[in-house]
Amino acid sequence: MSGKFERRTFLKMAAVAAPAVAAFSCADQEEAARLASPVDRTSVKWDKAPCRFCGTGCGVMVGVEQGRVVAVRGDEASPVNKGLLCVKGYHLPGLLYGEDRLLYPQKRNADGTFSRISWDEALDLIAAKFKETLDQHGPGAVGMYGSGQWTVFDGYAALKWVKGGLKSNNIEPNARLCMASAVSGFITQFQSDEPMGCYQDLDAGDDFVLWGNNMAEMHPVLFSRILETRRAKPGTRIVDIATRRTPTSDYADLHVLFKPNTDLALANGILHLLVADGRIHTPFINENVVFRRGIEDVKQIGYGCFGDQAERYTFEDQGRPSSLDELREFLAHYTPDHVSDVTGVPVEQIRALADLYGNQARGTVSLWCMGVNQHVRGTWMNNLITDLHLITGKICRPGANPLSLTGQPSACGTAREVGTSNNRLPADMVVTNPEHRAEAERIWKLPAGTIPAVPGYHAVDLFRALKRGDVKALWIQTTNPWVTLPNRSRFDRTSNDGRFIVVSDIYPTPTTAMADLVLPAAAWVEREGVFGNTERRTQQWNKMVDPPGEAREDAWAVIQVARRMGMGHLFPWPDDNWHEPMFEEYREFGLGHGKDLAAYTQLKQTRGMIWPVVNGKETPYRYTAGYDPYVKKASGAHFYKAKDYGEKAAFWLRPYHPAAESPDTEYPFWLNTGRVLEHWHSGSMTRRIKQLHQAVPAAYVEVNRADADTLGIKKGDRVKVVSRRGSLELTVEIDGRGRPPRGMVFVPFFDESAIINLVTLDAMDNISKQPDYKKCAVRLERV
Amino acid sequence: MAAVTLLAAACSGPPPAAVARSTGERATTRAYDGAPPPIPHDDSIGSCVTCHDDDGAAIAGVGVAPASPHGAVAATGAMQRCRQCHVPTESRELFVASRFTGLPQGPWKGSRATPGAPPTIPHTLQLRENCLACHAGPAARAEIRTTHPERIRCRQCHVPELGF
Repeated sequence: MSGKFERRTFLKMAAVAAPAVAAFSCADQEEAARLASPVDRTSVKWDKAPCRFCGTGCGVMVGVEQGRVVAVRGDEASPVNKGLLCVKGYHLPGLLYGEDRLLYPQKRNADGTFSRISWDEALDLIAAKFKETLDQHGPGAVGMYGSGQWTVFDGYAALKWVKGGLKSNNIEPNARLCMASAVSGFITQFQSDEPMGCYQDLDAGDDFVLWGNNMAEMHPVLFSRILETRRAKPGTRIVDIATRRTPTSDYADLHVLFKPNTDLALANGILHLLVADGRIHTPFINENVVFRRGIEDVKQIGYGCFGDQAERYTFEDQGRPSSLDELREFLAHYTPDHVSDVTGVPVEQIRALADLYGNQARGTVSLWCMGVNQHVRGTWMNNLITDLHLITGKICRPGANPLSLTGQPSACGTAREVGTSNNRLPADMVVTNPEHRAEAERIWKLPAGTIPAVPGYHAVDLFRALKRGDVKALWIQTTNPWVTLPNRSRFDRTSNDGRFIVVSDIYPTPTTAMADLVLPAAAWVEREGVFGNTERRTQQWNKMVDPPGEAREDAWAVIQVARRMGMGHLFPWPDDNWHEPMFEEYREFGLGHGKDLAAYTQLKQTRGMIWPVVNGKETPYRYTAGYDPYVKKASGAHFYKAKDYGEKAAFWLRPYHPAAESPDTEYPFWLNTGRVLEHWHSGSMTRRIKQLHQAVPAAYVEVNRADADTLGIKKGDRVKVVSRRGSLELTVEIDGRGRPPRGMVFVPFFDESAIINLVTLDAMDNISKQPDYKKCAVRLERV
Repeated sequence: MAAVTLLAAACSGPPPAAVARSTGERATTRAYDGAPPPIPHDDSIGSCVTCHDDDGAAIAGVGVAPASPHGAVAATGAMQRCRQCHVPTESRELFVASRFTGLPQGPWKGSRATPGAPPTIPHTLQLRENCLACHAGPAARAEIRTTHPERIRCRQCHVPELGF
């Protein structure tokens, strides 16, 4: 009670005191002004939400005052981050308030300018254009391209509209560029997507092996969780297996530098030693593992961007049964000396890694993200990392698991679990399986045969088809392909191309510049949402502030268009209460299949729940006796989803292949691309946040000092990075946060005014169809 | 670095102008009350905790380095990587102007039950476990400098008002 009185008194005093404060600090006038304007701290209301940026899924408490987000705190009640965030998380509020937020629908005029139109006009236009395209060219000519930033609602509405309404499978997430190799890795080995472990592995493990993953910058909160484990448990080791030195290397106990794409050989070299030295877990293998082998002919497989494969890459490989004996033979030539020659990794380090994986007394956690996934043999590399765990039995044990990290806040929750891709349906189901289609049609109350059986275009092919004209109407939501597509100029629009492109976003981007119609989207806590993070944790948040102008959530726009196209039956819920019933319908797909999500009411009350959630109880360790209610064994592992493998996991024999394009005399450098700590993806949000933009205001090119000396260039010089596909002028950075070895340069991709994807190659993984942004050949020219 | 003079932390204060400059700059560069302030100097000069340890430092001719407010765990374990949250300032330009207005920063005044009673803590304690970082030491501003830094256990008498 007295607090209130005191506060008013203080506010008065503060006003009187303001001149004195100003006198105390003349450089501090802005703060003095703030002091003079009284604000009642207790008027800030706090509510939980997951972070909007990466796939870690940190919990934040969002502070709202007078209808605006004014602060965030790390959520100490969140089991993900326990109160700590990274610099992006702490600057979340700024992502909503860039001065150029898109506020109303805009339509492109004949002269290329945009004019404001009403939502009714915009929705009518989309409905008309999609209907016209369907009528004239069929369902193969329409499509939708979304992202792992879609909320579960956005993704589910889009999926249901495209597959159940438009009767097309042309829906893809940008996660194809980001997580697809991890998906195909899990599917090929466990016949079910997503990891068995969780973040508790980071507390329980002894050795953390980071495969091509600059975790200190890309998953900083998880990395600091490992640093905490190392503090609490001396002897904990961090191994950084990388193609360049990064801030992660500075904290590693062992830094293993390998030549690009030779991680395949390195993993086989480790397997060779484990098998040769008898350090495999035979009882575990006998009980839980089958061996598989696929097509290995590099000419037959190719890389999906040249020659015959330039337009459509449809390589398929189901594999065949193999055996431990065949594995021994397969591994015979991956001797330490040979692998050292191929990889550039010293023999002692290969042996050290084999000792680490082979040591049964220590828990090993492998972690990876884009280095392994954005890889022309990304699925194979995912397989090989998991193979190391299968052959040593270091899987389905707390502190001993392969844990694939994710880059987007709902890459798992939406792109993977809802299944917003060309071949998928929710809960691991696929359109190529007639039973799965029938199940989806049953839940959606649609006539049999509604969902087409042939997969649509995967992401890169979708944009190739758009360029060719096979796809004519495309709706893009929550992503920025004209910054992020590899070899981007290949996809640039020509005027009067007859396409109809809708782009929903929160800011103008190079992608909205390509659109015929731009829709303003509501972002993050401007709407109710659900994300699913790396560790299978589903997290719900409430709407906390109103979106600006006429911005609306993406799912709402899809529902309105569906109704205008006579597909209102897909979304039979009232306008003022559709989130919970939509989620509960979606939830039905996973119940009883080991993909059970928590009920919406439970999600509202908790800091997220790790699926499968059975009887209201989450499952931190999947396939693991004692944790997972689906496991029918008293102890050990049970890979119950892998019906085709006898409920065992598949160990895949996967050879080394070189990259699609390697340096030569004309283009002597590897080009590696990626992120930096401060920026997220194409930078359309983080660049509008003062502190993040000012930390890294522009893209640059990291050059090795010895290479720079040879070329006669120094830090701060401008150089042109040139490939066979394009070139880009950048400022040279030497010995900065990232230090590439001789013969490699690195460029971050966040900068829309310096788009490195004009230079990159659109080669892709043979199975996942995910492009390799980490390897192509360039030369440097002095400017 | 040879010319750097570290002054005794809690006792002899640095010149008020240096404190004013430091706190003034921090107030304008951080996003909101509680946001991690950006690094206002060249971040390649060495280990952060050389200067930003539990006591802070006043550096003659340069300015004041506030103590780390993150308490005993600072610079170890999960708090080891300062650059996870504190980033350099390479530019003063904006990409696009912002309409963001953050939660205003203090100093706020706690309430007292009676005149002379210990005031409550008017701010969050999260990542501000080391009270003396701001309320004593070389970077403490005059308005919130404690009269009794020797009493160490601040929260025996001062309790958080906001409950977190």
